[in-house]
Amino acid sequence: MNVSRLLVVVGFACALSPEPAAAQTAAPKPPQPKISTATKEKAAEENANPDAIILSDFQKRIDAYMDIHKAAAKEAPPLKETKNPAEIKAAQDALGAKIRAARKTAKQGDIMTPEIQNKFRRLMYPVVTSPAPQGTAGREVKKDIKEELKENTEERKEEGGKPVVLKVNATYPSDTPLPTTPPQVLMNLPKLPEQLEYRLIGKNLIIRDVEGNIIVDFVPNAVQ
Amino acid sequence: MRRSLLFVLMLLVLAVSALVAQDLTVPMKNGSVKFAVIGDTGTGDKHQLAVAKQLTATRAKFPFEFVVMVGDNIYGGNSAKDYDRKFAIPYRPLLDAGVKFYAALGNHDDPSERYYKPFNMNGERYYTFKPADGVRFFALDSTYMDEKQLKWLDEQLAMSGSEWKIVFFHHPPYSSGDTHGSDETLRTQLEPRFVKAGVNVVLTGHEHFYERIKPQKGIAYFITGSSAKLREGNITQTQCTAKGFDSGYTFMIVEIVGNDMHYQVITDTGKTIDSGKVQRVGKVEPTPNRTAQPVVATGGADKKTPSKPVKQ
Repeated sequence: MNVSRLLVVVGFACALSPEPAAAQTAAPKPPQPKISTATKEKAAEENANPDAIILSDFQKRIDAYMDIHKAAAKEAPPLKETKNPAEIKAAQDALGAKIRAARKTAKQGDIMTPEIQNKFRRLMYPVVTSPAPQGTAGREVKKDIKEELKENTEERKEEGGKPVVLKVNATYPSDTPLPTTPPQVLMNLPKLPEQLEYRLIGKNLIIRDVEGNIIVDFVPNAVQ
Repeated sequence: MRRSLLFVLMLLVLAVSALVAQDLTVPMKNGSVKFAVIGDTGTGDKHQLAVAKQLTATRAKFPFEFVVMVGDNIYGGNSAKDYDRKFAIPYRPLLDAGVKFYAALGNHDDPSERYYKPFNMNGERYYTFKPADGVRFFALDSTYMDEKQLKWLDEQLAMSGSEWKIVFFHHPPYSSGDTHGSDETLRTQLEPRFVKAGVNVVLTGHEHFYERIKPQKGIAYFITGSSAKLREGNITQTQCTAKGFDSGYTFMIVEIVGNDMHYQVITDTGKTIDSGKVQRVGKVEPTPNRTAQPVVATGGADKKTPSKPVKQ
């Protein structure tokens, strides 16, 4: 077989292959656990799983934030039913300002510490990124999640609005779409009090104070 | 000459009235519970306006008292202007006529919408209301289906007794949509509760088309997610599909008469694409160990479904 015939055969074989070689990109590798020495020591001391220590730490930080939220809410005009949506925004802004004042030194990572961020990435990876065998429910779920994330991008293009500034205490712009966060993703994350919610801004996961309309903290590149 | 002209005019009026009456397949009984269902509405664009216009025109013939919104009530920004453009303006004639809207939260909604009085959510993410004796609605937040909400749902369903139990929320437990499909996680959480408590009908959106699902474990499921957005050709008919329509914008009108729930699905151009009735079978006993009261759903007008292969 001469070289040209060999090339034709190889080319034909490539054309018949179910997926082009270039398209067979490997799924991103799962994030590896990054656990601090302090957490490892505490886990050993308490004979506990280090991840349980990390999630417990997250809960304590959320509880501390909620103490600030509740104290601020006592001083702000209450959110109540109204025919005028501007009043809802005004109440959110007032509460947001009180919370911001109470935690003016807050910065990214105060709640979502590096090891909590790492834990969140690990929690999200199996739901969003990791490959699922064909024909399984997991594959359908992932397809749905990808569609929802795509919808976010489309909606953002259609609606415009100010870009979201990923900054602790920043107000979420009211003319910008609130991106959807698939329920399957939410189910895999630690539960939040009803005053808070998770939202996915691109690949970043934010914790948003719904009543104060501010960004409480965030995980950059939560979706790997 | 004048008399004959008058006679012809009268005949014409009668003929037009007859035609208008033919539009409706619902029975139009006095004292029945009449409502409409819309979903995925809050765009503020021409499609929402067209559906709203047709909904208003339909009310002239079928005086529904309230509208159920199955989520995604305000897409995109949610400033005061957005509430006007995406809700108050399109439905102004209905709001002015005293029609009440009851909203459920969708994945695109800001939970603070629950404080917007015209959505009648009483400041809650999930709530119940009783528009008439013998009928109760339950609105759920399907994006955050947490234990607290499920416990609340169990309690409320148990207290409901022998009423029509109609649950509405955003994500469909059953769907033949290519984009999203059935939310099986939600189904696992909700269906056993619905069956145990005797839920009759489930109204959802999320998928931007209309679909009526064959009754599942005695419960009738409807998807009405194309009242402003549309995913054309998105339905791949499954064994669950009783009727699918993915080529136009729709809303649903419903009338409950005794043990029958009549429904009619109408497009923004006024064409009926589905109609029929859901019938409660058997008598509902208000005992602690209730089981689902099976429903029989019968289709009506146009049974044409998208000509696609059946997904096994």
